[in-house]
Amino acid sequence: MTPSSSILRAVAIVVALAVVASADTVAPDLRVTPIERDGQVLVSFDLNDGFTPDVRDAIQSGLSTSFSYEVELRRGAPLFDRTLAAVSIIATVHFDNLTRRYQMSRSLDGRVEDARPTDDQDSVRGWMTHFERVPLSMTSALEANTEYYVRVRAHTRPHSGWFFWPWGGIALGLAKFTFIQ
Amino acid sequence: MPATVTSISPRHVPSPVSSRVPEPPRRPFRDNPRLILLGIGALVAVLVALLFLASGTSRFSPDFLSEFVLYALSAADLTMLAALVFVLARNIVKLVVERRTALPFARFRSKLVALLLGMTLVPAVLVLIVGSELIRTNIDRWFNAPMDDILASANQIAGDYYQDQQMLATDHATRLARLLSTVDLTSADVRPIRDVLAPDITLQRVQMVEVYRVVPSTGSLPRLESVVDVAAPTLQPGHSRAAVDRLAAQALGGSSDTRSIETLGTGGDLLHAAAVVKGTDGEAKGVVVATAYLTGDLAARSRRLTQAFESYNQLRVLKRPLTGLYLSFFLMVTLLILFGATWMGSYLAKRITRPVLMLSAAAREIGAGRLDQRVEPQSNDEFGSLVEAFNAMATELATSRRRVDRGTVDLERKHVEVEARRRYIETILERITTGVVSVDAAGAITTINSAAARLLGLQRQIVGQAAVGVFDRTDLQPLRALLAGSGPAKAEPAAQEIALAHDGQERHLAAVATALVGETGVPEGVVLVLDDVTPLIRAQKVAAWREVARRLAHEIKNPLTPIQLSAERLRRHFSNAPPQAKALVEECSATIIGEVESLKGLVDEFSQFARMPSPRTVPTDLPQLVTDTIALYNGIFTDVRIDQRFAPGAPLVRLDPEQIRRVIINLVDNAIEAMERRGHLVVATEFDSGNNIIHLVVADDGPGIPPAEREKLFLPYYSTKRRGSGLGLAIVRRIIAEHGGSIDVGDNTPRGTRFTIELPC
Repeated sequence: MTPSSSILRAVAIVVALAVVASADTVAPDLRVTPIERDGQVLVSFDLNDGFTPDVRDAIQSGLSTSFSYEVELRRGAPLFDRTLAAVSIIATVHFDNLTRRYQMSRSLDGRVEDARPTDDQDSVRGWMTHFERVPLSMTSALEANTEYYVRVRAHTRPHSGWFFWPWGGIALGLAKFTFIQ
Repeated sequence: MPATVTSISPRHVPSPVSSRVPEPPRRPFRDNPRLILLGIGALVAVLVALLFLASGTSRFSPDFLSEFVLYALSAADLTMLAALVFVLARNIVKLVVERRTALPFARFRSKLVALLLGMTLVPAVLVLIVGSELIRTNIDRWFNAPMDDILASANQIAGDYYQDQQMLATDHATRLARLLSTVDLTSADVRPIRDVLAPDITLQRVQMVEVYRVVPSTGSLPRLESVVDVAAPTLQPGHSRAAVDRLAAQALGGSSDTRSIETLGTGGDLLHAAAVVKGTDGEAKGVVVATAYLTGDLAARSRRLTQAFESYNQLRVLKRPLTGLYLSFFLMVTLLILFGATWMGSYLAKRITRPVLMLSAAAREIGAGRLDQRVEPQSNDEFGSLVEAFNAMATELATSRRRVDRGTVDLERKHVEVEARRRYIETILERITTGVVSVDAAGAITTINSAAARLLGLQRQIVGQAAVGVFDRTDLQPLRALLAGSGPAKAEPAAQEIALAHDGQERHLAAVATALVGETGVPEGVVLVLDDVTPLIRAQKVAAWREVARRLAHEIKNPLTPIQLSAERLRRHFSNAPPQAKALVEECSATIIGEVESLKGLVDEFSQFARMPSPRTVPTDLPQLVTDTIALYNGIFTDVRIDQRFAPGAPLVRLDPEQIRRVIINLVDNAIEAMERRGHLVVATEFDSGNNIIHLVVADDGPGIPPAEREKLFLPYYSTKRRGSGLGLAIVRRIIAEHGGSIDVGDNTPRGTRFTIELPC
């Protein structure tokens, strides 16, 4: 075995361990429900247990906290799956300890869609983790009787990562459906 | 310190490539001091930047540190770790390979790298562990119960105060809305409204009150229209009317959020609260917005309290990534040190071993004979002195080598000369007819030329054998005695004639044994020189016989004629005598005359032998001459079969055809006579191209000739036949001798006699 191959093997082992470690941190469950209405593919998803005590503490500390969601409509392929449509959603909340009010906002693909204040922490939880009927794609772009899947990846910021491997904290949800016309 | 090998004189260069010491490849970074200094400078700069970043972390927000700096540092740490693992693995693999291939200084290099790494690794890891523990401990100490309580309480007080002020503003707005429910908001006269609002403003319950009435609009939501606003004189200017309008509209829309805060910068905060004014029928007919004012100092202090609390809690939230951040700083510095130590160890090892390796390589090249190799010193330290000494040694070696080469060339030239002289003498010895035999001091034969081998009947394989043993043969014993009698005392050894009888032939040799004496007088052997004097003796004999013949012819022929005339006279005189006497005389005279005639024939032959002319040679086709001669015998001897065999490619031979024809006839006659005219006769020619000699062979299958009589055959007046003068073979030998050739007689196989004539072409 050549030196380079042994080094590559060692690096591969380290990377594999890191991936396993990061996968281990994906605790929250992300439920995804795609539906077809009025010629559109709408996606509802819910990040259960995403509002962890760490997240709550971060919000209460006044840190601007955001949940980023990458919603993708994908189709299976032999080698690499194909992404047909994608939407990026960021839900942000900032708590003012003086007025004890939450200021929430949501942006879709970088465009602020909604912003509102609230005093209710449950409202904040729903604002950050529950999304209803997010338009993802037109059904005209889909082939009839073909199986697709919607993948949602959620990322929390700030993330309380581990030393030496701060990456992680990604929740992943996936739902398959067959487009019948 | 680095050194390079250069060739200064291209002598004894087998090939341009192999004449140079294989110079280690120069690496653009390792062999460039500027780049090395630059690399060290970059490393120091990275360390300084890390130090600066670490010292400035307090100025950065925890969010920035945990979200950006921590990621960057972790990526850098992983990269450094991978690089370190790569360097270590590479060194280990190289060490194993170099040890397996027995590369010089492999062990030394690995030891040096391991030593430097070990010396650095232990303290670096210790510092890392201790530092990490200190960081964790210190960060834990940031957070403690008293601080928690103080900051939480302060934040609680500030928040509560804000809450109270907002609640008051809300209460005032609600109360005013209730009071205004009976007032006509649509009237142009606003005095009743002012009357309701005036006490609150006057008593400083609120700082500002804004009243809106609902204006119905067709086809859309009802809109608000400002009716009156009343503000206290102490209210800070700069407040936003739009914020109040928005809050009023929000309250009219039924939103539960009927409060807002408007910050006036350093001027303080305005706390707005809205309440819907409903008529007696319960329909909303307006909105009241009451505004309380918090002074700038109070608002600022409240915000500072809250910010302190938030900063503290943010640190607590980001405690883990921040700890990781500082540990990453430490880890990076440690990895940089380890990486630098590893690289430096490897670099130093190579810098140290490289000149030694080059010296070793140059020594191997010199050992292989390429003495023009030099190592170029590039430093004045001990390595430079070593290289200088090595180069001086190589120069001295090259000078000595040149001297030896010159001596070798001279020696080779002399050897060539001696060899040429030896070949010259050897060629002469091989070509001369004089036999030469040399015997060394030990008595062993060292050389014998072909003439000597032929004269003595020896094989040339006797070289190396003892002369005593070789010359022990009966016929060669005179030579043995001659060798025994030779010695350095005789300065001029006299030739000694020795007769050797071999295979029935007698050969006369003039032998001289000369002792070889070295420069120191030590005998080195004997040289025996042999000259074949047999032809000379034969010639002397023939000359003597010719003289005898001439005298006999002269002395006998002269009285023959008077004897014959006298006999005829007597016969004529007694022709008339009585028959008895006449018969007697006739008989006697006839006898006398007949014998005289016979004597005349004999005398004629003698005369012919004595007066034989010299041959008139012309280039002649010997096979054709033989064929023509043998043709004379066609049909004469029916019981004799004569075969002719001629060698192909034989050249023309310069000879006297008539004399050679006489030779052939003589030999064929003798053979037929010997076979008693019945048998098989072969006449053949053989060509010896090496010696340019042609042999004429006449072989019969008759009874043969005893060896003892063979030499006598060629003597005049010797004959085995009842008739004949005995001059035939003597004449044959003389003719052949006159042609420069020789004739020998021997046994034919399986029987008979074989005459072989040797003629030069």
